[in-house]
Formats: sequence, structure tokens, C-alpha cells
Amino acid sequence: MDNKMENFKYNISEALELPKDIVLDLPKIIMVGNIQLNISNHKGIIEYTQEILRINSNIGVIKISGNNLKLKTILSEEIIVRGNIEGIQIIS
Amino acid sequence: METIKTWNFFRGYVIIRVEGLTLERFLNLAANNDIYLWDINRIDYTLLEMKATIDGFKALKEVVKKVGCRTEIVDKKGLPFILYKLRYRKMLGLGFVIFLCIIIFLSSLIWHIEIIGNDKVKTEDIRSVLEQENIKKGIIKYKLDKDYIEYLLLNEFDIFSFLSVDIKGTKLIIEVKEQDLPPEKIDTDTPCNIIASKRGVIEKAIARNGKAVVKKGDVVDKGQTLITGVISDEYSEEQIFVHAEGEVLAKTVYSQIINEPIIKTIEKETGRVYERRQLKIGNKGVQFFKGDIPYKDYIESVREVKLFDIDLNLPIKLLVHEYKEVKKEEIKQNIDLLKQSNHIKAVEELNKQLSSGAQIESKDVGHSIKDNVLSTHVVIEVIEDIGEKSIIDSNYKEDID
Repeated sequence: MDNKMENFKYNISEALELPKDIVLDLPKIIMVGNIQLNISNHKGIIEYTQEILRINSNIGVIKISGNNLKLKTILSEEIIVRGNIEGIQIIS
Repeated sequence: METIKTWNFFRGYVIIRVEGLTLERFLNLAANNDIYLWDINRIDYTLLEMKATIDGFKALKEVVKKVGCRTEIVDKKGLPFILYKLRYRKMLGLGFVIFLCIIIFLSSLIWHIEIIGNDKVKTEDIRSVLEQENIKKGIIKYKLDKDYIEYLLLNEFDIFSFLSVDIKGTKLIIEVKEQDLPPEKIDTDTPCNIIASKRGVIEKAIARNGKAVVKKGDVVDKGQTLITGVISDEYSEEQIFVHAEGEVLAKTVYSQIINEPIIKTIEKETGRVYERRQLKIGNKGVQFFKGDIPYKDYIESVREVKLFDIDLNLPIKLLVHEYKEVKKEEIKQNIDLLKQSNHIKAVEELNKQLSSGAQIESKDVGHSIKDNVLSTHVVIEVIEDIGEKSIIDSNYKEDID
């Protein structure tokens, strides 16, 4: 049932060219080189240290590794991370 | 990004440290409560440093209570805190207000009166006229009536054809245009003589009105009457005064001597430059010496270094004296070439002196060498009108009567 609903939404967004992150409620991850990362539509921080940042989202946990990571901004919709980013992993 | 920083500065923000075990929860709760936090940095396992707005910090108290951690303010930044500090330093604020008042007051005075464009009328004369109307340095510029100044100066000096008064900052700029006044025309009804304007030998005297008193070959001096406007009748004692008119062509002589040494010492720059700086405050100078000038012969030039890039005559000036080393060399010049160049120079000088209607009759060039100096003597003879009208004095008339 749930899967059917998702498929339906996906098809509609395909047909009407609607942005999928809004229709399907997915996180949108934008990276600027390896120095900045914006994640919108997140579901909260799980772990934050200077080396590892884990963020919860609809598709699972997004794990960002690197060093000297700083949170530029935290809002209920968006997180901006700055620092030397070395890897992103999506654990679903 | 800078705009956000500036905005934050004006609103004021605090740098805080949060200590606790579940710091991620703290961040999530803050985000859910719409508390804006930025520049978050994890210093230690149990320590976070971040920035928050003043309102945000107050709102954080509830979150802190829920999570069970401690907050500590490290620094307060921004305009509200500076103003808060200033509240306890009334004298500083007062000083600032006084400073502003002085600046506004000083900048509303006229500090300099500049007069541009006057050639024939002396600057001092214009200044003294202005001073009589109490327009001088140190008056308040808002009280100045530009139209009145224009009216005043145009009335006082007939020669001005255009005048503009402008206030730029603390400077009063008066720009004038002088017109070329035509030579005084003598009314054709006024009796007059024609007199010689310079020495010469008369070639031709044509009197259209009046009576010529000189003939060809006469030598006349400056001021001598050439055509008289006083006509006496042979048969009666009565004298008639007329407006004399006519042309008197005379041969006049112009000469010019140009001296030029044959052996010339030429100062050649060697390219080495020695600089010395001087700070000038008012009329007193402070020189920064660096020993004596190391050259025997040199050319000195002074140039001013602008301390501030503004168009203002400051009493503090930084002058740089440049000493360029020169080598003196004696060169013997070619005499023929020198003669030619002297000749050309002399003719150029003479051409400046000639009046427009003059006709060159003859030219004589002579060279002589004395003490290694070549002197060239150029004499030209010119035929020109030397007549000049001069009104017959009414006293003279009465004397005759």
C-alpha cells in the first residue's frame, strides 16, 4: 500500500516535472566542492563531532566524515556544514 | 554572507558554550523551536561553542532545562552591547557630541576664498571689495548671498563680462571672465590731433581731415604732433578745431641683440639620484638628514608627496628633495650653426614686437665674437602707421581763446 502510494507520487512528479525532494519528501543534499554541504529536509542530528556528522533523514542516516567539521547553521529545514569533507555515506 | 554578519552585528549576538552529554539533542531541540544558532563548533566531547542572538539565547533556557546541560556566555558582541557599555561612559558620549558639533561648525565656515580668471584686475582689489561687504575668511557660508556677490562685483568692475560664485565645501570660488575692452574710441565730433606713437622717419603723411604738419623725411619723436586738428585761417585770427584723421606712415627701426657663448657647459645627468625628505608644518620644516649630498654638481628639484588623497591645502606637507647628479661638460659649438640659430631667435623676438599692419622694409644682420661670446645684432626697418589720436585739451583751447 505504502509502496504503491510512493510509486504514484513518483509518477506524478515525473509527469508534471515537480521537484522530487518536495513531492517525495526526500532530503536535498548540495555540495560545494569539499568545503561545504547543505542538507535540506533533514530529520535531526544523531551525532556531531569534528570528524563525523550523522544526520537523520527519510532515506536513512546520512553520515558525513571529514575533519574540522563545523555547523554553519542549523534550522529545522536546513543544515549547513563547513569543513574539510572527505566522505558521505547513506546508511538506510 | 557579509550582509548577514552586518545584520547580526547590529542586532547583537552572544558567543556561548554549552556543556553536557546529549548535545545533539540540544541542537535538534533548538532547531525545532526555531532558535537560530550558527557557527557551531565541537571543541570537546562534552563542549560546544556557538553563536546565538540575544532573543535566541533567552529562548534557549527552556531547551537547556529539558536537556540538562549548562550554558556559559563567553563573549557579547554587537552594537547593543557597545551602546550598553556607553551608558556608563557619559563623558565619552558627550565628547563625541561635542566633536560632531565642532566638525559641523567648522565645515560651515568659509576658510578659503579663491579667485580664478582675473588677469587685469588684481586679486587683492577684488578681495578688498569683498571685505568691505564683510565677506572674508571665517564667515558662515549659509549667510552668503551668491547673487549679491555677483551683483556687487559686476557693478564694481566693468571689465568682468561673466562671474560665477560657487561654494565648494569650505571654499568660496569666484570665477571671473574679463572682457577685452576696445581701445577708447574718440567721438568724431571731438577735436583731436594725431600724434606719433613712436620714433620714426616719416614716409608719407596723408591728412584726410586737419592739416599735416610733417613731411617726408622728417624725424619725429614719440608724442610729436603729426596731423593737427587746429586750423588757423590766414585771413582771420580765429582758429577752428577739427577732428583730425589720416594716416602717417613712418619708417621705424627695431633691433635685437642675442648673445650666446660659443663654449657651453652642458650639465649631463649621470642618472644617480639622492633623495632627502622634509616634513613641512606651516612654514617650519623638519628635514630628515642622511648625511651630506654626495655629489659635487647636482640639480635640486622639490616635489610634494600628498599625504592624503584629497584636494585640500593642508598645513602639513611632505616634501621630497631630489638631487640629481650632473657632470659638467664643455662643448664648443659650431659657429655657423650658432649664427643661424641666433638669427632665427632674434627674428622671432622682433616679430613679437611688430604691430599687425607693419611692412618690413629691410633687414640687417651682424655677428661679432668677443670673449668667446657670439653676439648677433639684427636690425629691421619697418614701415607702419604711427598715428595715434589724442584729444585736444580744453585748457589748450581756452588758452588760445
